[in-house]
Amino acid sequence: MSRREAVRAAALAAALCCTGASAQDEPLISGPGSTLTENKCKICHELQHIKRAQLSPGEWADNLRNMKERGTPMTDDEMRMIHEYLSVYYNRDKPAPAPSPDTLASGGDDPMQKLLNANACNGCHSIDKRVVGPSFREVAAKYAGDRGAPARLATKIRAGGQGAWGAVPMPPNPALPEAELQRIAAWVLQQK
Amino acid sequence: MENSKRTDESRRSFLTGVAGAGALAALGEAATLREALAQSAGAPAAPAGTVTNEAIKAAKVPAMQYHSERPITGSVPAHEHDFEFTPTDRVFIRNNLLTPDLDINLHRLTLKGLVDKELTFSVAELQKAFPVVSMAGMLECAGAGRTNYQPRASGTPWGATGGMSCPVWTGVRLKDVLAAAGLKANAAHVAGQGGDPGAVATAAPVIRSIPMSKALDENTLIAWGMNNGPLPKVHGYPLRLVAPGWVGSASTKWLHTLTVLDAPFKGTYMTGSYIVPKWPVKPGEKMPPDTVSTQAWPIKSMITSPAPDQVLKGTERIMVRGKAWVGEGSVGRVDISFDEGATWHRAALERERDKYAWRTFTCEYVPQRFGHLTFLARATDDRGNMQPIAPYWNPLGYFWNGIHRVGVMVVPA
Repeated sequence: MSRREAVRAAALAAALCCTGASAQDEPLISGPGSTLTENKCKICHELQHIKRAQLSPGEWADNLRNMKERGTPMTDDEMRMIHEYLSVYYNRDKPAPAPSPDTLASGGDDPMQKLLNANACNGCHSIDKRVVGPSFREVAAKYAGDRGAPARLATKIRAGGQGAWGAVPMPPNPALPEAELQRIAAWVLQQK
Repeated sequence: MENSKRTDESRRSFLTGVAGAGALAALGEAATLREALAQSAGAPAAPAGTVTNEAIKAAKVPAMQYHSERPITGSVPAHEHDFEFTPTDRVFIRNNLLTPDLDINLHRLTLKGLVDKELTFSVAELQKAFPVVSMAGMLECAGAGRTNYQPRASGTPWGATGGMSCPVWTGVRLKDVLAAAGLKANAAHVAGQGGDPGAVATAAPVIRSIPMSKALDENTLIAWGMNNGPLPKVHGYPLRLVAPGWVGSASTKWLHTLTVLDAPFKGTYMTGSYIVPKWPVKPGEKMPPDTVSTQAWPIKSMITSPAPDQVLKGTERIMVRGKAWVGEGSVGRVDISFDEGATWHRAALERERDKYAWRTFTCEYVPQRFGHLTFLARATDDRGNMQPIAPYWNPLGYFWNGIHRVGVMVVPA
């Protein structure tokens, strides 16, 4: 790993370690698309950057294009969903509607997807594509045929790690309840 | 919700205790949580390669107001700038990405592109190879004073006078270094690139270019010193560009590469940010297709004393003091109003020394009554451009140079 890669990798750890850190960084207004918006934006900056901005839909479109150019790992579809959400809930000209469940959270009411969203797994991973980290399918393939896989993967999720998938480290999850950890590990290993 | 919050906090407290990427890698697959925690005990609080915000803030005055932790941004208001030049512990902070922790002995500056010969310098070599100059110079974020704009524009919410500083810089002239490399006939822009890391591997590097006229200006430096000390890490240690009077993003921090180009650099920090509409738009509208890149700051001033809401004893002389500056040309005059702009009185203006440094102005006033009293400062440059009441609104809230107003209370002695 070159020095520059090492710095990048360390920077990601620094960025992720601050996730949800400050008192000012309360979640966004809950609504269709809020989970995706939080997951993507929190990778690089606090949510207060969004909450104190009240922009027109056109300005949000410019802003999102800017963030994509700056390196936000998001697809065009995700960008559209985030734009729709921000244009409704953080709009200069229209008051935000009352909070409502995020019906667009990936996986909807699926309990496993809810778990992955609640623990910010979906910010960096998806089922079949590399985002910041490997896809869940790639992880499952790596452990294929390994009888100790569930325990080994659970340990990895718990402690975090770096190197297996490149320079960007995964932060540890020390407070994740043991039962949820086991469920996530087992589910990831089924993604083939 | 409660549960997820607890999770985040635990993740944070765990990670801040880990030595960073190296330690994470060292954990290995077999490590248990207990082992991980044991290994992290006593480790430095910063991930390898970056500087913590706590360390940055420890070197700043308590008056510094922070607007963001990721990226870190902070500055002091006008009345905290009542010094000849801005002391290091009051210089504003504005990062786009994270603060790298670079080694001055390993750091290299490479000059490449449309040059006769590519050059690489260590910091020590640079210091020996060219004449060393010290000069005061304005460093001002393009969005300084952004919260004055109505409606609110997107970006760092700098206070009415936040986001600018004028310290003394030490370094070598960029033009001397360019001359040593030899410019090709079609050399038109110089792009600076710094070593600040982003949060993801896909993060675009912060690259800005300045036209050759500014690059060859004798006031444009490659600097390693601030106020006779080294550059603090957050301000670009060990090397940075200083393009005084221009928007701060032209002054690349943690500078490691200068590339000479035949046109402006094309990248997100040139085409998506630091741009203003070519023609004014209706306030609240999005960026139109026709834009221009932000360069020199227009004429601007601020009152550094008295402070807002200061209580002054009546019938005594009040010395109104402040700073005036412009990014191109010179400050021509400064006028003060004591009656909300109905009449104006010319202030005494300190002579020009360094071209793009702010200049101190003073104006004495004896209050004629008790009660609330306001001071307005309005500067005019040597070309006749005068500070407006409020400048044209623009979508990213750049170039606020409206007249600064300070109110005080005059009470019986």
